Amino acid sequence: MSTVHGRHTVITVNAKDISPYCDTSQLTRGADESDVTGYGKAAHVSGDDTLKKSEFTCSGKYDNTVSTGPRAALRPLVGTITTVTRKPEGTGVGKPLETFSAFVAEYVETNPVADHIAWSAKFTVSDDIADTTQ
Amino acid sequence: MNLADVMDQVGDRADTIAGLRVFRYPPPKLTPPGAWVDYPDTIEFDQTYGRGLDRMTLPFVVVVGKVSDRAAQNQLGAYCDGDGEKSIKAVLESGSYTAFDELHVRKIEFDPVSVATVMYMGALFTLDISGKGTS
Repeated sequence: MSTVHGRHTVITVNAKDISPYCDTSQLTRGADESDVTGYGKAAHVSGDDTLKKSEFTCSGKYDNTVSTGPRAALRPLVGTITTVTRKPEGTGVGKPLETFSAFVAEYVETNPVADHIAWSAKFTVSDDIADTTQ
Repeated sequence: MNLADVMDQVGDRADTIAGLRVFRYPPPKLTPPGAWVDYPDTIEFDQTYGRGLDRMTLPFVVVVGKVSDRAAQNQLGAYCDGDGEKSIKAVLESGSYTAFDELHVRKIEFDPVSVATVMYMGALFTLDISGKGTS
């Protein structure tokens, strides 16, 4: 086992590779919590039969490249369900591949006066994440 | 981005300023008013995934006459202006380049500069340059 550099990460949204415009991304896998504590207990008891609840965020440098630039690729998807793939260790046989449907909750553009325009997007994962290998 | 291509294209663009002798690399000697594209302080790779963006800070040096020359002050004033036909910022930022995507003249520092043991009044422009990474 070894560490893996983040620069190899590959992300596609709606089949468009937005990786060259991303400088960070995060997939948070979570679940609802269920408290099944009964009378007489001295500590909370958690139930494990709950729904998963995951979120994916990504952000980076704005680029006006037609079709695959973040504005062209992501802005029209806000409010829709789309397909996201994530290769956290990059492309290669046997490396992990995550595929999921996601609701595009936000696409944000930020314009600082002294630096590149930045963008970010927030996705709510819909249904299970398919974990496979390439 | 190829460093030599970037330095050449920045120099080519600056060379459109009338009366300014521009070198695409640090020259062994120079007659003022003159300028050169210096080697970058840093090149920062992998600003995005997939070799999408690299970034470099490139110095561009302009030298005029001696520090005590009145003419030197006037010349440097025009080169350091934010606008005008001799404005380094205006001319470089309005150029079209194929070796990189974006050029921003971020700041100017002033200092006497030694060229072939002669001291001239100089202005050091800091260029923030970014473009696609090669892979």
